Amino acid sequence: MKPLVTFERVTLGYGRRVIQRDLTFSIEQGDYFGLVGPNGAGKTTIVRAILGVLKPLGGEITFQTATGRAPVIGYVPQRDSVNLILPYTVGEVVMMGRYRKLGLLRRPGPADRVAVNASLEHVGMTGARDTPLKELSGGQRQRVLIARALVTNPDLLILDEPTNGMDLSSKSAILDLIARLHEEDKITIVMVSHLLDDVANAVRRIAIVDRDVLMVGSTGDVLTPENLTKIYRRDVRVGTLEGSTVILSGRRRGDL
Amino acid sequence: MGISDAMTTLVGEFPYALYGSVLVGVLCAVLGVYVVARRVVFFGAVLTQVSLLGLALTFVPPLDVLGHTGGALSLTAIVALLLSGLFSDRKVPRDAVLGVVFVSAIALRMLVLQKAQQVEVAEVENLMRGDILFITPGLFLFTLLLSVAAMAFMLLLARPFAFMGLDPETAEAQGFRARRWEQAFYLLIALVVAAATHLVGDLFVFGFLVIPPVAGLLLAKRVRGIVLVACLMGLLCPIIGLVIAFILDVPATPAIVSTAAVFLLVAWILNRSRH
Repeated sequence: MKPLVTFERVTLGYGRRVIQRDLTFSIEQGDYFGLVGPNGAGKTTIVRAILGVLKPLGGEITFQTATGRAPVIGYVPQRDSVNLILPYTVGEVVMMGRYRKLGLLRRPGPADRVAVNASLEHVGMTGARDTPLKELSGGQRQRVLIARALVTNPDLLILDEPTNGMDLSSKSAILDLIARLHEEDKITIVMVSHLLDDVANAVRRIAIVDRDVLMVGSTGDVLTPENLTKIYRRDVRVGTLEGSTVILSGRRRGDL
Repeated sequence: MGISDAMTTLVGEFPYALYGSVLVGVLCAVLGVYVVARRVVFFGAVLTQVSLLGLALTFVPPLDVLGHTGGALSLTAIVALLLSGLFSDRKVPRDAVLGVVFVSAIALRMLVLQKAQQVEVAEVENLMRGDILFITPGLFLFTLLLSVAAMAFMLLLARPFAFMGLDPETAEAQGFRARRWEQAFYLLIALVVAAATHLVGDLFVFGFLVIPPVAGLLLAKRVRGIVLVACLMGLLCPIIGLVIAFILDVPATPAIVSTAAVFLLVAWILNRSRH
């Protein structure tokens, strides 16, 4: 597989404060890539760099698609970051995904409405088009935010904590939807999460980050008890149950 | 005095009181929807005080060359831009920054007016309160032009403002420059608040930035509905409030703001009864 995003000795930070140093890894075209790590490890910083919102302090980030053009990146934020005071409808929220393309002066036309409807159909939310986003459940809101990212026809879809705070049923449905987008629509996926089990059982390749650590590889190679114990400073165990990876944390390492 | 007598007096003798208060009522109510939605209500209150400080400074040479309106607009715009920069500093909470500016503006205004001894106290008080009944045609026209420009700007930038208000993180990821849109939004609010405060006073402006939008949130289910309810309140409350002020012989601004508060109470009761 060819790389879609390549980090070459990239240093990231805010002002003089360095968060990550000398990051070198790539996300392949057609990848299903997991980005995990403890809170504050720098996952969001890496995502902001991929999105182009944060310029690297050093090194280079390059993008390459099959056609040679710059990739379109769809972004799905954490649900809690969305301000729900104004009751925007699902249709209005998904249409926001087209705003960049529309510019300031052009009004949404039939093609935009078709794209919005197709996106909603893709995530199984067609019937909710006129419902305010704030009236939906967490899982439904997540689907709508995914639909808004899909309306841009992305080459790469980045999802920030897509299953955080969901019940088992909603979580499984969202993970199934993401898997379908990857397998059927051939969209490259980057899933950022602190929920190791969710990522371990969904992605093909994984990067685990901490302050001065970056490990990239297959889930089997990276998610080992030794690596996780080192990063989380706890006695972490990794096993399988009916074919699924199960990760259990034990006592703090200092207590061992 | 009856309602028709009050209306006749109002339209015949104080037409600009009517036009000015309706203009500011509608404008502040519409902009207030986005102020309330962004959780920066206190920002509006702070700007009214900064605007009054800007106005007070023009009593002191050499700043008197700016004129009262120029002083209020300049200082409010500068402070709004500085505040939008300070908001991104995570060390100090946003409301604390606003609190500091709020009390500092009031304290400085008191000091400045104390030293500006060449002016009459009554004249200063009238200017500070924004005496609705004595709005001049010139000041009304200036505010009208500024309002038209503000609404055109708001309509032109409605999409980025809506996206940034709902989900700034994704808007930024899509290429909208968050910082720039934030500054444009705050600058727009600052200019409107400065001009409106000079015209009708701080109580009126802050009241209409908050009360009609909250009533809209309680009554309407869609964003357009919220804007429409706020707009209607901005239109009706000043007229009703002015008529009440004439009939009961009470000050105009408190009567108008109290009318809006009564409307809000009715909206709250309707909202409760619906649920």
